[in-house]
Amino acid sequence: MSVIKIGHVNLRVLDMAAARNHYENILGLIVTDEDSEGNLYLKGWDEWEKYSVILSPSEQAGMDHIAYKVENDSDLDSYANTIQNYGIEVENLDAGTLVDCGRALRFKLPSGHIMCLYADKTVVGKSVGNVNPAPWPLDVKGVGAHWLDHCLLVCPLDPENQVNTIADNVNFLSQCLGFRLTEQALVGPDADIQAVAFLTVTNTPHDIAFVPGPTAGFHHASFFLSGWGDILKAADIMAMNKVKMDVMPTRHGITRGETIYFFDPSGNRNETFAGLGYLATPDMPVITWTEEEIPRGIFYHSGELNTAFTEVYT
Amino acid sequence: MREEDINSKYNITIVDTDVTFKCARETHLLEGMRSLGQKGIPSGCHGGGCGICKIKILSGRKSYITKTMSRTHISEEEEKKGIVLACRVFPKGDIQLNVVGKIKRKILSGQKIWNYS
Repeated sequence: MSVIKIGHVNLRVLDMAAARNHYENILGLIVTDEDSEGNLYLKGWDEWEKYSVILSPSEQAGMDHIAYKVENDSDLDSYANTIQNYGIEVENLDAGTLVDCGRALRFKLPSGHIMCLYADKTVVGKSVGNVNPAPWPLDVKGVGAHWLDHCLLVCPLDPENQVNTIADNVNFLSQCLGFRLTEQALVGPDADIQAVAFLTVTNTPHDIAFVPGPTAGFHHASFFLSGWGDILKAADIMAMNKVKMDVMPTRHGITRGETIYFFDPSGNRNETFAGLGYLATPDMPVITWTEEEIPRGIFYHSGELNTAFTEVYT
Repeated sequence: MREEDINSKYNITIVDTDVTFKCARETHLLEGMRSLGQKGIPSGCHGGGCGICKIKILSGRKSYITKTMSRTHISEEEEKKGIVLACRVFPKGDIQLNVVGKIKRKILSGQKIWNYS
């Protein structure tokens, strides 16, 4: 029984035509479906499930929910019990409630974000197929994102009132769903406040991450590229298309990833993330960043925080 | 539309700080300010989603048009009063404005990563 990967993120967008152009032609995701309510379903060329991104028309930007895939259908019953016993209410969703998925669970993280678990989603296959595949498809658009890599969520932290939903999320996901902490930042006079946390269910440095803020929100959805050359080309393509970039190509200390941060036309932040960083097997000791070195953990080269990066989210 | 309208640039003034810059009608106020290296309005997502560039327009409803802004940050009532997001405002005439409040939402603030007093 295990949670095996990030499944999808459902983002709310203010202008669907502009959002479609961004995710399809600039990020290079493939549109696989569109429903009567105006939701758009997309996947990366290297993904096999039908979608990893749902765009929903809305008057408010931000994230509707994030979903992870479990190994077996029966895991959903076990996880429902575990989550309820932990004290979190679980809603059982019938098959099809999450489009093209089997039955699913829906619940709120301690930070207030909505998470779903599913075991089955329609498989449509990678663009390069499964037999004697080419290393990449010729008809990929834009920056050609391979897959949805991870999401970063903004979680309420108010130490003076003993509120730390980052630590609460880490406890819950570790104890109930088998997520493993890979990196953390500890702050405060006694360096005992877990203010930043990165967790994985695979062998990559993170499948979800949490940073602090006054209110719960969505910081970014990250899409995988192979390497530094792809990151540079991605920045060129974004500049050609006048995409608002937040952070120019650089490297993270945390995860060692190579990165660009930018915004979709509704202000939801995206990242292109390259490099697999390191192999995060279950026996890897947790990496800790101290309060003074958090800026270098986030932007390794400059060692300086960028106010838009730390204060702006949807 | 006449050619002179397409090429029109308007004077945008941030009243409280006495900053003035020129902005074309197809350019939103935040991009107009940033592209000239001017400062005053906080810059965030440039997509009407994050709410950080909230301003109040003092020059009247006829001086600008807007695109969709997230209702998380601008209510219908505010929009009617000229409280808008600078990244979704395009000028149709000269504009006078003020920045609404300061950046209140901090994830990690300044040199001190988290403030304990």
